[in-house]
Amino acid sequence: MSGLKLRGVRKSYGNVQVLKGIDLDIDSKEFVVFVGPSGCGKSTLLRMIAGLEDITDGDIAIGGRRVNDVDPSKRGIAMVFQSYALYPHMTVRENMGFALKFAGVPKAEIEKQVQEAAKILELQPLLERRPKELSGGQRQRVAIGRAIVRHPQVFLFDEPLSNLDAELRVHMRIEIAKLHKELQTTIIYVTHDQVEAMTLADKIVVLRGGEIAQVGTPLKLYDDPDNLFVAGFIGSPKMNFLKGQLENERVVLPEYGNISFPASVSASAPQEVTVGIRPDAFDAGGSEQLPLKVEIVEHLGNETYAYGRLGSGELLTIATDNDRQVKPGDDFVARFNPSSLLLFSEDGQRIR
Amino acid sequence: MSGTRLARNEQINGWLFIAPSVLLIGIFLVYPILWSLWMSFQVGKGMNFSFGGFTNIIRLTKDPIFQIALTNTLIFLVFQVPIMLTLALLLASALNDPKLKFRGFFRTAIFLPCVTSLVAYSALFRSMFSNEGVVNKTLMAMHIIDQPILWTSDPFWAKVLVISAITWRWTGYNMIFYLAALQNIDRSIYEAAKIDGVPAWARFTQITVPMLKPVILFTSVTSTIGTLQLFDEVFNITEGGPANATMTLSLYIYNLTFRFMPSFGYASTVSYVIVVGVAILSFVQFYLARERSRA
Ligand SMILES: Nc1ncnc2c1ncn2[C@@H]1O[C@H](COP(=O)(O)OP(=O)(O)OP(=O)(O)O)[C@@H](O)[C@H]1O
Ligand SMILES: [Mg+2]
Repeated sequence: MSGLKLRGVRKSYGNVQVLKGIDLDIDSKEFVVFVGPSGCGKSTLLRMIAGLEDITDGDIAIGGRRVNDVDPSKRGIAMVFQSYALYPHMTVRENMGFALKFAGVPKAEIEKQVQEAAKILELQPLLERRPKELSGGQRQRVAIGRAIVRHPQVFLFDEPLSNLDAELRVHMRIEIAKLHKELQTTIIYVTHDQVEAMTLADKIVVLRGGEIAQVGTPLKLYDDPDNLFVAGFIGSPKMNFLKGQLENERVVLPEYGNISFPASVSASAPQEVTVGIRPDAFDAGGSEQLPLKVEIVEHLGNETYAYGRLGSGELLTIATDNDRQVKPGDDFVARFNPSSLLLFSEDGQRIR
Repeated sequence: MSGTRLARNEQINGWLFIAPSVLLIGIFLVYPILWSLWMSFQVGKGMNFSFGGFTNIIRLTKDPIFQIALTNTLIFLVFQVPIMLTLALLLASALNDPKLKFRGFFRTAIFLPCVTSLVAYSALFRSMFSNEGVVNKTLMAMHIIDQPILWTSDPFWAKVLVISAITWRWTGYNMIFYLAALQNIDRSIYEAAKIDGVPAWARFTQITVPMLKPVILFTSVTSTIGTLQLFDEVFNITEGGPANATMTLSLYIYNLTFRFMPSFGYASTVSYVIVVGVAILSFVQFYLARERSRA
């Protein structure tokens, strides 16, 4: 049993409220990712779970036990920091065994644990080195190893990969996913990279301005976002947003020559809406069409993105099904089906 | 080859630029050092001296005052430097805690002594530690002692007084170095240690101290040099007394040169004892603090 329960968790620094009441349940063995823009409070929330920050209000329970006043070392958690936070004057072996020394674990047992962790992380040849003699990826593995030897119920990661280069980041991402399978523990992982969130998470928690914007599986958030913020945040390239009007069960796009098509929802009175459509929701076989002038083309090899607009409208991103013939300046007709659109009301909430 | 005209011009320009400082350093630093080395082999009083070979060194071994001065200096060194550096380190750690209120005030207060005027501070210490002084009065009021401590006339307490005075004056100075170094330590290392369940004392002894090792080495070398040259306090507060109980090598050199019939040669020899002492102790400290090669 190592689930977490957060109830009405708040954090203020002086008069500034940084977290405005977080309610969240995390199941045992779940891989949960906190994602959100810079400054939204991801690290603060993680650090409160770790016990590094006081809880201004609310309750945090780990494995059914309220931990608000429990010492960080007794919460059954281990944390991996963005800066690695290795002890610079100790070897890899000493770094990994340090916590156990103070937990009263016998020397032979410490050595066994360290060896085990080193094996999982392929650190055996590096055990005698000091952190400054390691590469970034190796340091990160040592930091993870230091967490593993403590056999925590919950692993906390704060942007563990953001100091690594792109290639290594992908590699370590896979390593962490593998680790989760092997260790079968709860993981809470903070990132501002939505690709990391999508690929790693069982459950994503999108935070915005100290509040939860939505919680759900990666695909749930992608397919069925609750609000404009989540729709815009999840998915790359970003979802397109168009100004529109919803009336009489039809959507009208005034900036696109007043074209209109049937809406999946009905409105009692005419209202302004935002129409969201993902770049890859455009479909050459779609029933509706948007005439565009292409401004920029990006060839990624497996896909070609065209960026175009009509008149003064928004710049739209369209996945062209790898149509390599598109050129800037071309007229382009983007087709779509009304069923693949998402509608949002003026206050940013989804209209379902 | 630097035989081209351009290269030669550059060489000349270069020398011209550094010539003034080379000249000054030569006259006021290098020459006196070499001259004193030469002098240390001279015997005689005042301006009448002649080459005496090792006479001065032999005199050292038979000179009771020199031996007292050497012993005193070493006593000051052995007690004062570790006490001061430990104190500075503890204070720096405490003042580095971001939750502490009035940090700036405390830092300034502790640093101030080393920038106060020597004369003012000596006068203050003399009056504070006089038989009727505020220190004795306070200690008696608190019933820690029942009669005044004779700070300046008891050989033991005079040494304690000198050690307290230097410690008061230089602790803040060393603390600043530690504070600067502490501020460069990534805070998350301490957070990691907290999560790892490392108790506070172990965070200090096993993380802070090892990470500050280069600064600790630096401060211990500079403090050692400072204490071996100790002069200000003993000259101003105790005047070497009582009965040479706080006589130090530097004060003895001063007395040899300016108090008694000047004996420049012998005074130079005593100076070189300090030089050799500094060299040996610095070497030992660097040796002890070297990166241990891995097993
Ligand atoms: N010690 C502090 N005092 C005052 N405000 C703070 C403090 N620590 C964080 N904050 C504020 O709390 C908010 C959330 O910070 P936090 O570090 O949790 O953001 P984050 O989501 O982790 O962002 P990032 O992706 O940039 O790491 C920010 O607006 C920050 O300015
Ligand atoms: Mg953060």
